[in-house]
Amino acid sequence: MQFKTIKEINAGLVSKKFSAEELIKYTFDLINENKDLNCFISLDEENALAKAKKIKVKKDSHLLSGIPIAQKDLFCAKGIKTTCGSKMLENFYPPYNSKVVEALDAAGSICVGKTNMDEFAMGSSNETSFFGNVHNPWKKGFVPGGSSGGAACSVAAGLVPAATGTDTGGSIRQPAALCGLTGIKPTYGRISRWGMIAFASSLDQAGPVCRTAEDCSILLDAMSGYDSRDTTSLNLDPTNTFADLSKPYENLRIGIVDEFNIDALSKESQTLFNESLKVFESLGASIHKISLPNINQSVPTYYVIAPAECSSNLSRYDGVKFGHRSLEAEDLESLYINSRSEGFGDEVKRRILIGTYVLSAGYYDAYYKKAQQVRRLIKNDYEKAFKEVDLIVSPTSPSEAFEFGSKGTQDPTELYLEDLYTISSNLAGLPALSMPHGFVNGLPVGIQLTGNYLEESMILNFANRFQQSTDFHNAKPTFEDFQ
Amino acid sequence: MDDQTVRTICYLSRLKLDDEKSKKILSDLDTIIEMIDSLSSTNTENISPLYNPLEETARKFNDKIKSDNNKELFLESAPESDENFFLVPKVVD
Repeated sequence: MQFKTIKEINAGLVSKKFSAEELIKYTFDLINENKDLNCFISLDEENALAKAKKIKVKKDSHLLSGIPIAQKDLFCAKGIKTTCGSKMLENFYPPYNSKVVEALDAAGSICVGKTNMDEFAMGSSNETSFFGNVHNPWKKGFVPGGSSGGAACSVAAGLVPAATGTDTGGSIRQPAALCGLTGIKPTYGRISRWGMIAFASSLDQAGPVCRTAEDCSILLDAMSGYDSRDTTSLNLDPTNTFADLSKPYENLRIGIVDEFNIDALSKESQTLFNESLKVFESLGASIHKISLPNINQSVPTYYVIAPAECSSNLSRYDGVKFGHRSLEAEDLESLYINSRSEGFGDEVKRRILIGTYVLSAGYYDAYYKKAQQVRRLIKNDYEKAFKEVDLIVSPTSPSEAFEFGSKGTQDPTELYLEDLYTISSNLAGLPALSMPHGFVNGLPVGIQLTGNYLEESMILNFANRFQQSTDFHNAKPTFEDFQ
Repeated sequence: MDDQTVRTICYLSRLKLDDEKSKKILSDLDTIIEMIDSLSSTNTENISPLYNPLEETARKFNDKIKSDNNKELFLESAPESDENFFLVPKVVD
């Protein structure tokens, strides 16, 4: 059952080849055999087994019925430790469920545990977690990407067929790319942020990480839909992307962004990119050059807006109502300062300080307001481009997975550039997907499809057709380094 | 970032940097600020800020009193509390 897709596992459950209980027991055996990957922060074996025992999967059951899934450890789950990868929430047990947890429970899936992640989702390598680095299943000692690194690792290692992630600047798509998986960040507002621990509220969006586009569509349809508890939730029905996989989206026009300068990539990456374009053409798509004139300002724009929102969102951690409390406090002021200074790691502190700086008197207009103006220019560029093309294609990440500690230790902006291709869709709120399209130095790399607002069906449909014509999504790590 | 700015930002953030790490974090902040300074090269005259990607979706709610009282539940998450309150160090003598 390892490395099987949701549909394949569902077929096994429906035909009674194995029961939901046997599947869950097998899943926990796999997880325990692969503990050195460090992809889970906590497991929920007792509840998972209890739920599995009650489930009888029939032909007309939801496709997710009895399917083991992993939840990123920033989705609040009632009574289950939810740490957000931080010492600050090391012992936090939420009193309520997030919408994503509620929705996937209601569909019948079984949460086996909470996955490791960069602290408060701030990172592109899963190296900022208080709970340690996560290994890329394709190579020990190499990053799985981040911030949803544990989620991607758990699926890439075949421990679970699907995991939830969140994406503020590429945190679903980049780890999906570095681990050889498919992941989609839907349109901002598609999935409720209720109970999703906030990093940057105008950018954060949940989504699935799976082996295939088809599996992503199953999860997205279950996770999406209007929720009055999130004021930015789109007042729309859940997506219908799974049914839309059979729709004939023909003669799609696909844009390549001039400013992304594909020629600057390594030769191997360029070759893979061009080969994928040929596959796109064989599927009836036409390739067009487009311009997004302000796209190169995405990284600096993001690194004003995201830290600003983070400094505001993380002000709630004061050592009083929940979370870490310092034992060294003499008065209320030192309680706040010591609790926060002990509870947050260095990357989180860096971002809070930058955010506070760009929001402070004297700097607000030069940085915060300016970044939000550039953000509009970036959105305007996309709106113009989507009059000319249906989808935009780019690499997901500038490079394949890298060794722990090899990027960003001297200069943090080196790691920030990992998100060069993914950040702009968060700034504009657009849906975007990453899927595997080959290997560089033996490690998987991804290609990204960005669509217009609410065009998740088109993106997943085209990705599914690509995967029907290619075999990259079926590749599995050998775990040679881990023996 | 000069020392006075750093002290102000740290105070506003309610964070303190220990001596060992502060030099590195401060040099990192300078590098990040240098990067974000490049925004000034973009002409944004007459461009209104975009605070939310889908502006029309941000809705307001009227304040409503709900009947469920979860005081005990929420106090369970507090590092220190009594039956009715979150406890903090003494504020007034």
